[in-house]
Amino acid sequence: MKYKYVALAITGIIVLSGILNVTAGKGLKLGVDFGGGTLVRIMFKEPVSIRDMRNLLNDIGLGNSVIQETGKNMREYQIRTMQVVKAGGQQEELEAHEILANRVIEALRGDEGKAGLEKGLKDLNNIDEKSLSSLLELSFPDKGQEFAQKIISYRVENGIISDFSELERTGLGQEVLTTLKEKTFLGKLTVISRETVGPQVGADLRRKATQATIWALLGMLVYIAFRFKLAYGVSAIFTLTQDVLISLSIYSFSNREINLPIIAGVLTIVGFSINDTIVIFDRIRENLKIMRKESFENVLNVSINQCLGRTLITSGTVFLTLLALFIFGGDVINDFAFIMLIGTIEGVYSTVYLSCPVVLFWQKLFKPKRMIRK
Amino acid sequence: MKKRLHWKIILTIAIIVGAIILAFPPREKIKLGLDLKGGIHLVLQVMTEDAINIETDQEIVRLQDLIKKRDIALKGATKDRPGQFSLQGLNPDQEGKTRDLLDEYFRDWDYTLIGERATISLKATVVQYIRDQAVNQALETIRNRIDQFGVAEPLIQRHGAERIIVELPGIEDPERVKNLIKTTAILEWKLVKAGPAPDEETLLKDFGGAVPEDSEVIRGDPKRTQGGYFLVSKVATVTGKDLRTVRRSVDEWNNPAVAFTMHSEGGARFEKLTSENIGRQVAILLDGKVQSSPVVHSTIPRTQGGIIQGRFTGEEADDLVVILRAGALPAGIKYLEERTIGPSLGEDSIRQGLAAGLVAIVSVMTFMVFFYRLSGANAVTALILNIIILFGALAYFRATLTLPGIAGVILSIGMAVDANVLIFERIKEEHALGKTIMSSISLGFSRAFSAIFDSNLTTVISAIFLFQFGTGPIKGYAVTLIIGLMANLFTAVFVSHLIFDLVVKKAAKRLSI
Repeated sequence: MKYKYVALAITGIIVLSGILNVTAGKGLKLGVDFGGGTLVRIMFKEPVSIRDMRNLLNDIGLGNSVIQETGKNMREYQIRTMQVVKAGGQQEELEAHEILANRVIEALRGDEGKAGLEKGLKDLNNIDEKSLSSLLELSFPDKGQEFAQKIISYRVENGIISDFSELERTGLGQEVLTTLKEKTFLGKLTVISRETVGPQVGADLRRKATQATIWALLGMLVYIAFRFKLAYGVSAIFTLTQDVLISLSIYSFSNREINLPIIAGVLTIVGFSINDTIVIFDRIRENLKIMRKESFENVLNVSINQCLGRTLITSGTVFLTLLALFIFGGDVINDFAFIMLIGTIEGVYSTVYLSCPVVLFWQKLFKPKRMIRK
Repeated sequence: MKKRLHWKIILTIAIIVGAIILAFPPREKIKLGLDLKGGIHLVLQVMTEDAINIETDQEIVRLQDLIKKRDIALKGATKDRPGQFSLQGLNPDQEGKTRDLLDEYFRDWDYTLIGERATISLKATVVQYIRDQAVNQALETIRNRIDQFGVAEPLIQRHGAERIIVELPGIEDPERVKNLIKTTAILEWKLVKAGPAPDEETLLKDFGGAVPEDSEVIRGDPKRTQGGYFLVSKVATVTGKDLRTVRRSVDEWNNPAVAFTMHSEGGARFEKLTSENIGRQVAILLDGKVQSSPVVHSTIPRTQGGIIQGRFTGEEADDLVVILRAGALPAGIKYLEERTIGPSLGEDSIRQGLAAGLVAIVSVMTFMVFFYRLSGANAVTALILNIIILFGALAYFRATLTLPGIAGVILSIGMAVDANVLIFERIKEEHALGKTIMSSISLGFSRAFSAIFDSNLTTVISAIFLFQFGTGPIKGYAVTLIIGLMANLFTAVFVSHLIFDLVVKKAAKRLSI
């Protein structure tokens, strides 16, 4: 409690700088879910440098796409087309983004694919299981499906086939490999995933996300005011709003985009950060009954200190699990893990340094009589 | 004391065994979301305005017919917008007759009749009904098409007033599926008056450069014919509704084609058309574009049927059969969102999620045992049971596990020990105040309960809001979080207490905590 002014000052600084960053600086990068647009993930047969990719994209005027490596060996990337599409209606905008995605894929595929397709060969790296099994049935009656399954499983596990010799590991004989070499070629890349969100849906989700957050905060206010007193409810909503703002501010300084899972993360932080706060409020309520001679401020102080150990430990365990997710969970869920890590730390900070000062100020402001205790 | 413990033990074991049976083996029993299985997710909007438009057009024609039959004067009828049209040049003396006509035959429409003009608009409730029907019909048609396409476990659902969500696991070719769904599939046979011609001017040469009253200019589909312009009659002699059977076939050069036969009434019209127009061309149009325009060589008897040919690939012919069998869409479709996840990404995500989960469990366990020693082991046991029950519940409710859902499981692991920590700290406190071991334990559990309940509840409230507003993967996250927390409430409070009861002896002086 000694640091209450310092704490409020720090909070103010972080939130302000966050707001500045969002409005004037780099801004909150809205991901595909909210901004509309396309995200394409690609895996290459052989390592490709970002520079080469950007050159290829420059040639078709999409050089300003955001390219990020998602794997470790310069073969997996994700590409976000940033082209601002001036289009007629909303339908055109969605289709235009799709077309952009197609153009990106084609540009990166280059001529190699076209040559193969023209010869009538199938791309082994992009063919689906049914077609492959039909193809193999012609040369190996009754075995087509079995072979196709093995090949496709291998491809799914490894992402892409770089060389025909890799298929020896699946136990397929040389005959099969020879047939494959005759009838197929190994495409330069596979599309691991692609996502296009139209502007209509993007706007809808933005609206819903904001609504959900506001309603959740209000819900917490009501719940806490109900369980404790109004002062605590107000403190809770204040603290939680800070949680949201600080987490998003810090997140905005990183180079990451905001997608639906991030909002899920923010809402989870709201629900979780309130836990510690409730524990302290619970303790305050108990102590008020017991420590009748102490001043209100002192009671708050003591309660916080009593609960400090527990707060640190529980936040600590959650932090541990989130760290595991951050390090081992893969890149798709990485952004979520990141904001949750920020949120957990921030949650402890807000619980310890923010929630009680607010109660104190509220009481001083509105219920000064209760402050004087016999 | 023993009796009380007995039923608690039985209950606990029953729940755990139940959970194991439900959830094992996980690969088969747990439903995986699209982001883990791979597949396509589409959000479509049904352009219900089209349906209103079609209704309006048809009603205008019907009104004009009836007006002629009743000898009511009318100069013209024009459509103002979908759902509303106006009449011009009415005779004010015939107002009574006109009103009678409208009241009797156009009950779905409101009208205002002033002097020579009338404005007729579709009632709001009827508009709503038509819109609603259009969406339902589109839903059915799409479902039929996808059924025939053959997808395991498709999800086709109405979403809100005018949207449809389609999720197809395991599909790798999004373009083909999207075309399959999107084709309105209005098939028409129209008599060709002139064409094909490279442009409109050449086309209308013999008609003095103007389009005749009963005809219209249509383009050829460049993929099928050589492109070009056709002059065809406005009214279609035969449409897709007249088809009886449709199947894959080949044309005279063994290229893929679609063979059809017709119902008797349509067949009769077709027979008449061919017998009256030998030597002329009949255009076959799909969604307003000419697919082919064969020359009529002889009368085609109503039972024979014919083929639709025109540079189809095997796949395209197959898809056309599917579309024609399932019927035409009542309105246009717009794509709002499209996500395609390849199976390898799904596999990776599962693998990485499990790895992270494992690390999380191990670290938490180590911590608990290290910090709380034997009581820590108690918490660890409760945690493991928590996870088993969580998966059992997922299987029981047929909830879908998504990647954020896996994150939710990992999160609830972290939060699960929260409850135990609260209880243990409380036990320590009570003991430090001088209470006996047994009562410390009891008090620890009971006093900590309200805080545990509150904290779990608030996170559940958040998760409920998330469930409401979220889409697929986020809903999965909210569900796993809620189930995890509820399971946690059970294991941390009930099971942990039970373990203490079983393990700690009555007269114990020290507690390993």
